[in-house]
Amino acid sequence: MRSILASLVQLATTVLVIAAVILVILVPLSLAQPDPGAVLFAFLLGPFDSVRHIGNIAEAATPIALTGLASTVIFRAGMFNLGTEGGFFLGGLGAAAFAIMVGVQGPLAAPLAILAGACIGSVACVVPGYLRVRHGAPEMVTSLVFNFALLFAGLLFLSYVLRDPTAGALTSPKIPADARLDRLLQGTRLNSGAIIAVLACILGGVWLFATRSGLNTRIVGSSPGFAAHLGLPITRITMATQVVGGLIAGMAGAVEVLGLYTRFTWVSLPGLGWTGIIVAILARENPFLIIPAALFLGYLQVGGDILGRSMDIPSEIVGILTAAIMVAVTAKIIFENPRLLRAIRSIKQQEAK
Amino acid sequence: MDAFFATIADPALFATVLRVMTPLLLAGLGVLISDRAGVLNIGMEGMMLVGALTGVLVSAYTGNAWLGFLAALILCGFVGWIMALVVNGLGAHLIITGIALNMAAAAGTTLVLFFATGDKGMSGALKSEVLPSVRIPFIADIPVLGPLVSGHHILTYLALLSVPLVSILLLRTPFGLRLRAVGMDPKSAASAGIRVKRVQAAALVLSGVFGGAAGAYLSMGYVSWFASNMTAGRGFIAIAVEVMGIGSAWGALAASLILAVAETAAITMQSLGLPHELMQMIPYVVPIVVLTVYVSRRRARQLV
Repeated sequence: MRSILASLVQLATTVLVIAAVILVILVPLSLAQPDPGAVLFAFLLGPFDSVRHIGNIAEAATPIALTGLASTVIFRAGMFNLGTEGGFFLGGLGAAAFAIMVGVQGPLAAPLAILAGACIGSVACVVPGYLRVRHGAPEMVTSLVFNFALLFAGLLFLSYVLRDPTAGALTSPKIPADARLDRLLQGTRLNSGAIIAVLACILGGVWLFATRSGLNTRIVGSSPGFAAHLGLPITRITMATQVVGGLIAGMAGAVEVLGLYTRFTWVSLPGLGWTGIIVAILARENPFLIIPAALFLGYLQVGGDILGRSMDIPSEIVGILTAAIMVAVTAKIIFENPRLLRAIRSIKQQEAK
Repeated sequence: MDAFFATIADPALFATVLRVMTPLLLAGLGVLISDRAGVLNIGMEGMMLVGALTGVLVSAYTGNAWLGFLAALILCGFVGWIMALVVNGLGAHLIITGIALNMAAAAGTTLVLFFATGDKGMSGALKSEVLPSVRIPFIADIPVLGPLVSGHHILTYLALLSVPLVSILLLRTPFGLRLRAVGMDPKSAASAGIRVKRVQAAALVLSGVFGGAAGAYLSMGYVSWFASNMTAGRGFIAIAVEVMGIGSAWGALAASLILAVAETAAITMQSLGLPHELMQMIPYVVPIVVLTVYVSRRRARQLV
């Protein structure tokens, strides 16, 4: 009971910090507008004013919950692999290519396409992970740069193999209807990918906190020296998490493309892998907390879109908000403040008595 | 094939390579300075965007290109200082801060552009100034050498001049020594009486100044306008330049030259019908190979 209370203290601090960031950025901006109250109202409450907007929140949260889970799995093993962005792009392309070129029909079409996307997308995380484990090349730099290499490799494939010559722009042919995911809510693009995302996060949480291999991964990530002392196969565990993280990132891209699009149209990195990193940080690398964290970022996105449509404020404001939240939530000065840590410890000690 | 050789023999080709190289070199030097101090500036892409927009806006309002350039340098140096404050003062994660900076800059520059011009895409409505190209007297009149050496953009000369300056700064000055010491082992540096945070802040400010110059070149030299997200990944190529240059300013020069040749070749090959995506991959694949070989060699040497 007390330990729940202790984590509540941290949660409350996070919420407080985020609220402060939102107000600090939004209030000056709204004061410059003729009706400041309406701006705040539209941004903060707009996303909840209709079922459709709530559906939009879930729709926006689906891909970033999955990329957030991918980043979480990767970070938990102590690697700072940024390949989720490339994995997301490649996963989407792989799933579209599989659905179009292989032409599986019937109920298996979508799952097989997602599987193919996941496998292809995982390359983005596996290669930097392998280079780190085998050769010691810093995974952060190689994965960052590798994302862009994969983007152009993907574009090469898209223009020379997958391109629909009859379409004006650079896009793939139509993805067969069998491979597309079902819509869950009228008027939104919310699809069955959302169910996959929720299940994956729960499964990820159970794996991380309730299984032996999850425990081993956490040990390897948080104290490699202790893991070596225990005789854990560090290389194998690290590599396995890079593979699993890459598979999830690829799956995220596959779900996004099969759920929302009729053709594959990305010609630049979609950026949802970066957002996944934010989600992972916001959720403190806890798979269970990814769902609320992703929903929160989806809520910001929908609020920004409403602002962009109804007021004269571009929805780009969300980018600044997210960036500021990202920095504030990793700020040691707040979350590793001696006073906060002491407060949490004293709550936990009371439980021990 | 004749067309290919005709393009290579073109004297304008060298100028094109230098034009492509300039922003990569300036940004690469910026990343280099930050990395040697142990605070790798992932936010270079964002800093370049801020510099590009600042140059256009200030030069449009003052009517003076140099004021715009100066403002870009100062503002980006300031952004570097903020980054140092966030990383060292607030204790935020370095890489996360860099990613956040990129995100905030991409959104922020679009936002500012919208409030300044009413357009989210391009600054075409603003009448901004450009920095001049330089014709070096006397040398410009020499037959073969003249067209090669003279007539380039002033920031190209500045970038080339920065290479020995940065090299001297890092390797031959007390500040450079402190900076490298901080990057190598901050704890030992601190125990030797070096103020680690202050040195890292200085490195990030310098890094920002270079990022501002690179960004200003894009919007006031390469072209004469600002478009949202016009850096198009050059800030990330700058990180690649630093990696390929293996931590030295001259290496960064060589790396940015190679990448510029590759990019110029990509444009040429496109006109010949070869896939330019293949060439576009080069700046991103080569650094990974270089880094892997370099690190694993060094590790092998340590093991022996």
